Amino acid sequence: MNMKMCLNTALFMAKVSNTVFVCVLASTLVSAVNNTRADETCSSPYLARIEGQEEFVYVWTLGVEGLGDSSDKLVTVDVKPGSPNYGKVISSTSVGGRNEAHHGGFTDDRRQLWLAGLENSRVFIFDVHADPAKPRHVKTIDNFAGATGGAIGPHGAYALPGRVLIPCLSNEKDHGGRTALVEYSNDGNYIATHWLPTKDDPRGAANPNFADGYGYDARVLPRKNALLTSSFTGLNNYMMDFAKLTADPEAMKHFGSTMVMWDFHARQPKKVFEVPGAPLEIRWAWGDNHNYAFTATALTSKLWLVYQDDHGDWQAKEVATVGDVKGGVLPVDISLSADDKTLFVDCFGDGKCRVFDVSDPQKPKQIYEKPIGRQVNMVSQSWDGKRLYFTSSLLARWDKKGEDNEQFVRAYTWNGKELKPSFDLDFTALKLGRPHHMLFGATKLGANRVVASVP
Amino acid sequence: MNVDRTRVVALAITFCLSRVTVAIAADTVSSHDADYDYDPPVAGSYALPVIKVAPDGAIIDSDSKSLDLRQLTHGRITVLSFIYTRCAAPKACPYAAGVLSQLHTLSANDKELATNMRLISLSFDPDYDTPQRLAEYSEAMREQKSGCEWQFVTAKSHAALESILRSYGQAVDQRSNPNDPQGPLYHILRVFLIDRAGRVRNIYSSATLDPRLVLADVKSLLLEEKKPSTR
Repeated sequence: MNMKMCLNTALFMAKVSNTVFVCVLASTLVSAVNNTRADETCSSPYLARIEGQEEFVYVWTLGVEGLGDSSDKLVTVDVKPGSPNYGKVISSTSVGGRNEAHHGGFTDDRRQLWLAGLENSRVFIFDVHADPAKPRHVKTIDNFAGATGGAIGPHGAYALPGRVLIPCLSNEKDHGGRTALVEYSNDGNYIATHWLPTKDDPRGAANPNFADGYGYDARVLPRKNALLTSSFTGLNNYMMDFAKLTADPEAMKHFGSTMVMWDFHARQPKKVFEVPGAPLEIRWAWGDNHNYAFTATALTSKLWLVYQDDHGDWQAKEVATVGDVKGGVLPVDISLSADDKTLFVDCFGDGKCRVFDVSDPQKPKQIYEKPIGRQVNMVSQSWDGKRLYFTSSLLARWDKKGEDNEQFVRAYTWNGKELKPSFDLDFTALKLGRPHHMLFGATKLGANRVVASVP
Repeated sequence: MNVDRTRVVALAITFCLSRVTVAIAADTVSSHDADYDYDPPVAGSYALPVIKVAPDGAIIDSDSKSLDLRQLTHGRITVLSFIYTRCAAPKACPYAAGVLSQLHTLSANDKELATNMRLISLSFDPDYDTPQRLAEYSEAMREQKSGCEWQFVTAKSHAALESILRSYGQAVDQRSNPNDPQGPLYHILRVFLIDRAGRVRNIYSSATLDPRLVLADVKSLLLEEKKPSTR
């Protein structure tokens, strides 16, 4: 905005109301020095923000045959401070059947929650605006493979302006790991498919020899126009029994070992990084000058840093060991605090959350660990870093068996030194299923916003 | 200049300086800034897939003339911004108005943009943003008398407004405090790029409304039109 335009705007505002204009100035200056955003720390930067504290935790839950109604369902847990229902399930909506419920995400206006099933590629759209305490299933996308040109295994939904980005895990042709990023409008209409680069079709990306075409997570750093993707495995593997999979050397060859940096606006891959061992969740730092992201590699149990070097080039490097791979540590989900200082790392195999000081992102140091359960998968952290929520399920056929197959949502507080339990929900005893991805809900968005109809 | 006006201007200058923004000039490469620290892609080097048909609706312009919105979303490459003039959120309507003003200024010296681009600022606050107030706002926003068409409009009725907002997916809510410093309405910033055939080709928010990207997108659509085999 040039100076004359600024003056025009300001003078018009002053004409409208001097008070309003001064408030613009005050808001501007305050926003420059005081980041007041609330919310889950790993959510999309394009997402409308919760004002203050989360009130609900939405839990996308895999159905278990013979347990309750056996169906996948969206479970809502009340986490509003002082609520008589705090720590209790207040609503549950089944979608009918089991779809390998996995991840989800809001549209940018936070009015819809999109929940994906990995097995049959259905995407269930819920209205979370009309009554955030009781989400309502309003639409199902059930022609995903046909609409997208063969991408399958939708892995959640990532809010972009007016649309969602759906990173996929597999393809219809061979059910392997070659896959794509898919875009749908907030209306639920297909827009585009962007296949991940391969050695044979690098689409202009540097380091094409590493390109395996696999996908998993996709996240954007807007001020760098940087889209980063990670890689996991295809349907053949994620729907296979875990013991059978790990005993099959050929199947174990088919895991992703790459991350890709894209030009986000152009949706063009720019550089492929070799990151062995299935790099999963991506967490961009939030700091204004923090040009880096973390990921954890499940099969090699390492933390990796993708960062912009002194020349402005993006690089990837291993920066820490999480645990002993042979001991089955298997880091799965990670959560970075809003101040970029603390990284929580959930390890499925031993059920522990390991906490790393990442103040120096090049040299993470483990400072704490806590057993959460016999198995643990996802972790969601509040923006103020004081509350963390954990779930237990990884994949229906990968979860532990027998007594080790604990299925829970557990909440903890974090005081900077230790995790202390807040509440514990046994999803098996409640006949709900296997809880997986969690997302925060609230009745208030933005500053002093209340849910209301359009004036 | 009286004391109050001097104070307002001083505050305005402070306001401008506090918002480090990207300066664009026709056919020049601009520097990065804190919000947009990258080189934008070259126009025509990427695709802009069709998102949907730009919805229609009953509107009224700053001359109190009734129109169908589709009359303004066809025939030119259109940048449509939903606004309300009382908005004081720094990265919302004031910022969007600034970006459109830059595009308008650019078009004054670029015949292709002047004759092929249209800007629309559509207010979702029709009770306050009357045609007369929109005309005043228009006068304040335009740096150049020449340049591309820039329409300042609002919905013809509350029912028309609700339909337009719903069909464009523009979320607007009343704040619980009508005297909120950032304005009485809460909304996410939405700006739409619409091609000559009336199809939405991009949607921008505060985080993506980089004027260099919008310009690259407009020029990409112009280049696309010159390739008869595409679309």
